[in-house]
Amino acid sequence: MQKITLVPKEQFKISIEAETITPDNFAGKSAQDIGAMIAYEGNTPRPLSELFDITVDGSADAADVKIEINGNVARVKRIGEGMSAGEIVVNGDVDMRCGALMRGGSITVTGYADSWVGREMRGGEITVKGNAGFYVGAGYRGEPCGMTGGKITVFGNARDYVGEHLCGGEIIIKGNAGILPGVSNKGGKIIIEGDTDMPGSEMTKGTIIVKGTVTEMMPVYQNEGIETVDGVEYTKYVGDVTVDGVGELFVK
Amino acid sequence: MSELLIKNAVVYDPINKVNGEKMDIAVKDGKIVDSIGNGADVIDAAGRLVYPGGVDAHTHIAGSKVNIGRIMRPDDSRLNNKPRTKITRPYTGYTVPNVYAMGYGYAEMGYTTAFEAAIPILKARHTHEEFEEIPIIDKGGLTLFSSNWMVMDAIREDDLDRVAAYVAWGLEASRGWGVKIVNPGGGEAWGFGKNVAGLDDPVPNFEVTPRQIIRYLAEANEKLNLPHSIHLHCNNLGKPGNYTTTLETFDICKDIKPKRDRQAVHLTHIQFNSWGGNHWGDMESKGDEIAKYMNKNDHLTIDMGQLVFGSATTMTADGPVQYANAKLLKARWANGDVELEDASGVTPLSYHPESYIHGIMWAIGLELALLTEDPWKVLMTTDHPNGGPYVNYPDVVTLLMSKKKREEAMAKIADLTFERTSIATIDRELDWYDIAIKTRSAHSKILGMVEYGKGHLGVGADADIAIYDLKPDETDSTIEYEKVKAALRRAAYTIKDGAIVVKDGEITATPMGRTYWVKSTAPSDAHDRMMADLKMKFKNYYSVNFANYMVQDEYVHNPVIEECGYA
Ligand SMILES: [Zn+2]
Repeated sequence: MQKITLVPKEQFKISIEAETITPDNFAGKSAQDIGAMIAYEGNTPRPLSELFDITVDGSADAADVKIEINGNVARVKRIGEGMSAGEIVVNGDVDMRCGALMRGGSITVTGYADSWVGREMRGGEITVKGNAGFYVGAGYRGEPCGMTGGKITVFGNARDYVGEHLCGGEIIIKGNAGILPGVSNKGGKIIIEGDTDMPGSEMTKGTIIVKGTVTEMMPVYQNEGIETVDGVEYTKYVGDVTVDGVGELFVK
Repeated sequence: MSELLIKNAVVYDPINKVNGEKMDIAVKDGKIVDSIGNGADVIDAAGRLVYPGGVDAHTHIAGSKVNIGRIMRPDDSRLNNKPRTKITRPYTGYTVPNVYAMGYGYAEMGYTTAFEAAIPILKARHTHEEFEEIPIIDKGGLTLFSSNWMVMDAIREDDLDRVAAYVAWGLEASRGWGVKIVNPGGGEAWGFGKNVAGLDDPVPNFEVTPRQIIRYLAEANEKLNLPHSIHLHCNNLGKPGNYTTTLETFDICKDIKPKRDRQAVHLTHIQFNSWGGNHWGDMESKGDEIAKYMNKNDHLTIDMGQLVFGSATTMTADGPVQYANAKLLKARWANGDVELEDASGVTPLSYHPESYIHGIMWAIGLELALLTEDPWKVLMTTDHPNGGPYVNYPDVVTLLMSKKKREEAMAKIADLTFERTSIATIDRELDWYDIAIKTRSAHSKILGMVEYGKGHLGVGADADIAIYDLKPDETDSTIEYEKVKAALRRAAYTIKDGAIVVKDGEITATPMGRTYWVKSTAPSDAHDRMMADLKMKFKNYYSVNFANYMVQDEYVHNPVIEECGYA
């Protein structure tokens, strides 16, 4: 077991690109080694030691690394990008693209996760205890696929375009979701426990389950009648028919 | 300017028939000289491989198509990123790099000259605006005449001199170096949602055929005594069974007499036009048939258009083929209409070894290069970024040099590929001399750039030199392909006009290169007939004014102008 604690030294005004903060990078490293790693503040490269107080306890492989971040990192982007194992816990809010391209391990954010949390995630698990911004688990601009594996759970609300271009994996939103969740879904699963609007436009494959109220349906679905999922009755829709889709949309 | 001596170089300079000789190279004022004084700077090559700077005769590095590729592929712009340094600006992009990376990437590989293979005259200013920002390398471009109303009207009236007069004017208007023909007639037909089916299928409303367009432009090219031959992208590209059209096209220029010591026609990225079968299901390679033709005939040259597995961005004036690609692959698609001149399309795609179609395409490029005996007849290209990005040239070189490397690659490719191609049976392995031909010397010769000091290291040549961290005497390129690839990817030194621009694979200086273009003249009566027709077309059809059309000199930095014309 290796535990690394990061505490920001200042209130960052310019966003920090912190894709270096991963268990893979920190595994087996001393506080000094980690402090020498670079994160960009705007266009300026800065060593992590200038940005954070770093304490390291023990030494281990990535799978047994736990990174805890305490303090305000609401302007720190890309925490845990591409990580394959281990654990990150952020006690607070994070800036955009937390857990982007993640392949394994887990990230917990106790506060708000800004847009693109878990973008193009391949595996592992992200838990957001607060709300999430736009494009949870989606594909970044121009990507044919968003998430292809793994699981994202948001305990609060999520904004628009949850799981855009999803090709696999699972997203659970315990609160409400903004417009067009699962737009262009190509094979992932989205469960929204609260309310949402216009789910599953351009969906070709995959599943969307909405347990709350759908304000407006896109007129691109075939109604297939009542079906029971996990003991709950839903109206099942198949579509988007305009793109020959066979995605399944369950609405209560 | 300073003097430079490169000592103990193992030099391959095929134009001067230097084949792996250990020698010194002397440089003064940016040119290769016989000898220099004692005060010169010295680089000890210590037995390492030295080539003339690389020349790329067919690539897509600048202009509106490239930029549309950038706009439609933000995903690509996230690949290969490198922050700025004191010397270099930031790099972005893999298939469609930003303008700066475009120059840096070539220079890092020891390339010093690259020719943009498609300039629509109407959009030529854009091409030159990008040229202005591409650092280090020398540039030139080929101007599109394939579906041009001026050309087709003159052909219908059987007025060859008027065709020539328009070509001369169009080259000047676009500040272009040569005549490019893409899917002749197809661009115009695409304006009506159609294509031309073959060489004798008339173009709607013009009643001239692709065969006539090729023939007239080839003759006009020689009347004008242009340094390069016509440069032709055949009809029916990307369709199974298209090799018959390709072989027919080869024959069209058989009796054209080139005015200069070069081919009568260059046919580009022939991999995409060497397909047998009737549909995707029974598609097979006819690379062997094409190579057989190449071995029997001397009037033509081709380039590979090698496929590289992974991401590509296809961009061409062949509008209909891009629509077909986008539909087939459900891919993004951009369509362009170049008014009276041509069409265009851009579609990103990805080549997968698990697909036998992509496997066959991969194999055909290599078959063309390996089954054609004379290395001067087949250039190594990937038709960047259509077959794959140019940064993969070192990988393609190792495929040509090593059967073992090919076998390693083949192990990952769909089995059906090897029933439909002959690649697995080919034993030929090219040597350093062949590779020098295929990556610089033949490019220069085919373009007509030898007299401009490109692609060779003879006295008077531009001191564009690549030194690679590899000793040919101690390296078995048939086995040590990883070493070869690494060395070619990052030159130990790239020297441009006598100055070091790359050292140990890193950019050390970013001078601006030249732009080469051709100013040619036709007889004045033909010119007058052409101008009357041109002014009429501007008045009636173009969306821009005649006076605003031609690229101004201010857009062309460090120009080098070839003047030629009717003999
Ligand atoms: Zn091309």
